[in-house]
Amino acid sequence: MVENSIAHELRQIVGADAVLDKPEDLQLYTYDGSTGQGRPEAVCFPQTTEHVSRILKFANKNNIPIVPRGAGTGLSGGSIARQGGIVLGFARMNKVLEVDAANHRATVQPGVVNIELSNAVAHLGLYFAPDPSSQRACTIGGNVAENSGGPHTLASGVTVNHVTGLEVVLPDGRVTEFGGKTFNGCGYDLTGFFIGSEGTLGVATKITVKLMRLPESVATLLAIFNTVEDAAQTVVALTSSGITPAALELLDGLMLRAVEDAYHAGYPLDSGAVLLIELEGLREEVEEYATAVEAICKKQNARETRRAKTEEERTLLWMGRKHAFGAIGRLASGFYTQDGVIPRTKIPQTLQFIETVGKKYSLRIGNVFHAGDGNLHPLIMYDIRDPHQAECTLKAGEEILQYCIDVGGSITGEHGVGMEKIDMMPKLFSPASLEVMKRLRNVFNPLGILNPAKMIPGARSCRETTMPGHASLGDPSKDFARMGGGAP
Amino acid sequence: MSTTSISVDLRNEIAKIVGAGSVSESSERHLIDGVKPGCVVFPVDAEQVAAVLKFASGNDLVVVPHGGGTMQSVGFTLERTDILLSTERLNKVLHYDSGDLTLSVEAGMKLAEVQNLLAERGQFLPLDPPSHQNATIGGTLAANVCGPLQVGHGSVRDFCIGIEFVTADGTIARGGGRVVKNVAGYDLMKLLIGSHGTLGVITSANFKVFPQPKHTQTFVCEFVSAEELSACISRVVKSPLSPIRLEVVSPMGMEYVAGLESVRNPDNYSPSAKVAGATKWHLYLSAAGSEAVLARYRNELGVVLSKEIGGAEADSLWRRISDWQTTISARHPHAMQARMWFPMDATAKVLESAERSAVENNLLFACAGRPSVGNMNAAFLPIATDPASSMQYANTISALRAALPAGCGVSVTQCPVEAKARFDVWGAQQADIELMHGIKQALDPKMILNRGRYIV
Repeated sequence: MVENSIAHELRQIVGADAVLDKPEDLQLYTYDGSTGQGRPEAVCFPQTTEHVSRILKFANKNNIPIVPRGAGTGLSGGSIARQGGIVLGFARMNKVLEVDAANHRATVQPGVVNIELSNAVAHLGLYFAPDPSSQRACTIGGNVAENSGGPHTLASGVTVNHVTGLEVVLPDGRVTEFGGKTFNGCGYDLTGFFIGSEGTLGVATKITVKLMRLPESVATLLAIFNTVEDAAQTVVALTSSGITPAALELLDGLMLRAVEDAYHAGYPLDSGAVLLIELEGLREEVEEYATAVEAICKKQNARETRRAKTEEERTLLWMGRKHAFGAIGRLASGFYTQDGVIPRTKIPQTLQFIETVGKKYSLRIGNVFHAGDGNLHPLIMYDIRDPHQAECTLKAGEEILQYCIDVGGSITGEHGVGMEKIDMMPKLFSPASLEVMKRLRNVFNPLGILNPAKMIPGARSCRETTMPGHASLGDPSKDFARMGGGAP
Repeated sequence: MSTTSISVDLRNEIAKIVGAGSVSESSERHLIDGVKPGCVVFPVDAEQVAAVLKFASGNDLVVVPHGGGTMQSVGFTLERTDILLSTERLNKVLHYDSGDLTLSVEAGMKLAEVQNLLAERGQFLPLDPPSHQNATIGGTLAANVCGPLQVGHGSVRDFCIGIEFVTADGTIARGGGRVVKNVAGYDLMKLLIGSHGTLGVITSANFKVFPQPKHTQTFVCEFVSAEELSACISRVVKSPLSPIRLEVVSPMGMEYVAGLESVRNPDNYSPSAKVAGATKWHLYLSAAGSEAVLARYRNELGVVLSKEIGGAEADSLWRRISDWQTTISARHPHAMQARMWFPMDATAKVLESAERSAVENNLLFACAGRPSVGNMNAAFLPIATDPASSMQYANTISALRAALPAGCGVSVTQCPVEAKARFDVWGAQQADIELMHGIKQALDPKMILNRGRYIV
């Protein structure tokens, strides 16, 4: 099968204006928010479930890889066409199909942008809880594939806790449904199993999500510390206090200065670290929690605790956090972020370890992360023109992830394994566990056409060998043409 | 009573794997649907579980995983039970980091023991299924049972963060991990939770645990009709309140939360001697917080609030509510019990349909559960003077299934063995049966685990 015949076939299915195959167009789809690259043979934009089904049937028959893609904000290479093939873009399947306010449910197409769903139901006093920092761009289909989190998932859970039903197209083109509007149905929990499968089991074409009620009251606090150790100890103290904040984020000195320069969020430039703490609930509750949290922070040597007095102040504090990655551009030409998770009791020692690693390789590492979940995002900054630094950056990243594993943690809390961390999977899972995962993948995706060479090392793939002429098909971590840019 | 027999040779072979002291004859307490298993095996670790399963696979022996035995009535009658694989000796705490609010325990640990351990540090696992004294961690996961706390904390899928299990061919697999946020690898927890022992034997699991609230209060509201009740539930759900529990008990269901000192004869429900309050629908709401917060609940509930309960009295009430199904099984060995699921706004319609199906088939109806999360347990009770026939149960379920609106379903969790053969206890699957068979085939190709019970 030659390239242009793939595009020709796709045009028969989705229409002439919904397929890209010119080199300059394909170039835009060679990367996502991660470090990897891979060039598809065609990009197409289905508009209906029927389109998706016909495309998959065609690809399955001809052994062509299919790589579903939302907004391409992913940070692990999940939407990169690592072995060529067809990128399935969901930009034209972006409708909210149903809002069932009485049952707190909505059914959406996969291309709906995360924040747009919350905006669409705000007048009903409802919202969709998972809020990745990329929520202004990322899609719900992508959230389902990656089981996305976000700062506010500390109290309310990640995507899998908020999806009750799916319509899925399997590689042979069969359209099927999992779950419905309740979590309690009969049969294996295929909805739960599918979420976070990174596009390797099927293509979701309809998603039924749970909507939450907007809180009556919200308090946003900024606790300021002279040292990052004190801030880290405060996270430990808050976790065991019994108060579950809606969000608990940490920015260290390096990060908060970068953010302050860019956004003027009001973070004090001379501090060692800040905690951004958000509390939600009944008015009475939030008042009491806020007082208790202030007391805990003080006891843990907080220099000062500020509370946003207006919605504008609150937005500004959050803008600093949500756009932190963008502010890095002021400090370095490239950055590489990790997504390790550790027990919350190990945060202080892990931050110390990260500092040691930075010194060892003479690299600046900033920390801005979901402290309440123990989900780290160390940002390793480097000069993209310096191959030696790039090499050191990779080594530093791997050492940090190894440390996370050693203290009982994980290599990814919300960014996914994708192609970026696929080689680290054997450090986390035994060969037997990986083999069981492969068996399960083969049930859904027997020929390996869906997102090959992702997530599980050695899983079946429809193109066992690298296609000539496509970049970055070997070790993705060797490809440093582009690093960073996305937002966790 | 019948017994599945297993040859002395095979039993000796199993004894070689786990030691002679770890294989025994089955006893009365191991009966499943009236059938005695061929033998009971007590492995002490995942490796022994793996060795037993490998042996069973090679010899076409049907293995039934067994925790506290509280949910063995669920599902179709087993084809046979050669080996009852007890998790009784898998009872260790593997890891408890109270500062991180994470716990890892072996599958055979009793839920009650886990709660006692956590309570020492002021923490708890928000799992309150029926028979919590006997229920084990593994069984609770496999049967995906929950209780009133489902309203505030979700079901076990929301806080089980890691799992270890053994597939039918003896492969020991792990999913997830010990940290509260983790997306590495497929979510094997979700697959095993609610798999009813058909995909593997769960050997240990990791959880997110929670701090116990300092002060809680229980508010009781009473309603004369299911419509009024469901209107109140939807008002609470739309309000800013976040109850920990929001449990409904039907008028006749009150009989089984009354905590009667002298229990009447099995199968003898005597309407002439109803317990207090058994004419109304009851809604029990519990909330945590300071006096100011609880005052807010009082205000928001307004005139529908009939009384408040706190302290030990409330704890005891909630225990009885959690044990509702167990109490019914004990009182009515011939009752049929079922789990109904539905979108919240179908509550009144579902309750009305269930009651009508019962009455039309000469059965009494009681129910308890959580309409706000679309989950109710129903009991269909035979009238003592008129023992129910299998067809009565079958007709009741088919009438109910026919009357339920789209998106709703019902699965029978307990009924007389004779009746089980007459209808599909599970009901229509909500997900793709072809894929489920594929998954079963991938993890248990010889169908040795719980053969015939589920996904057949």
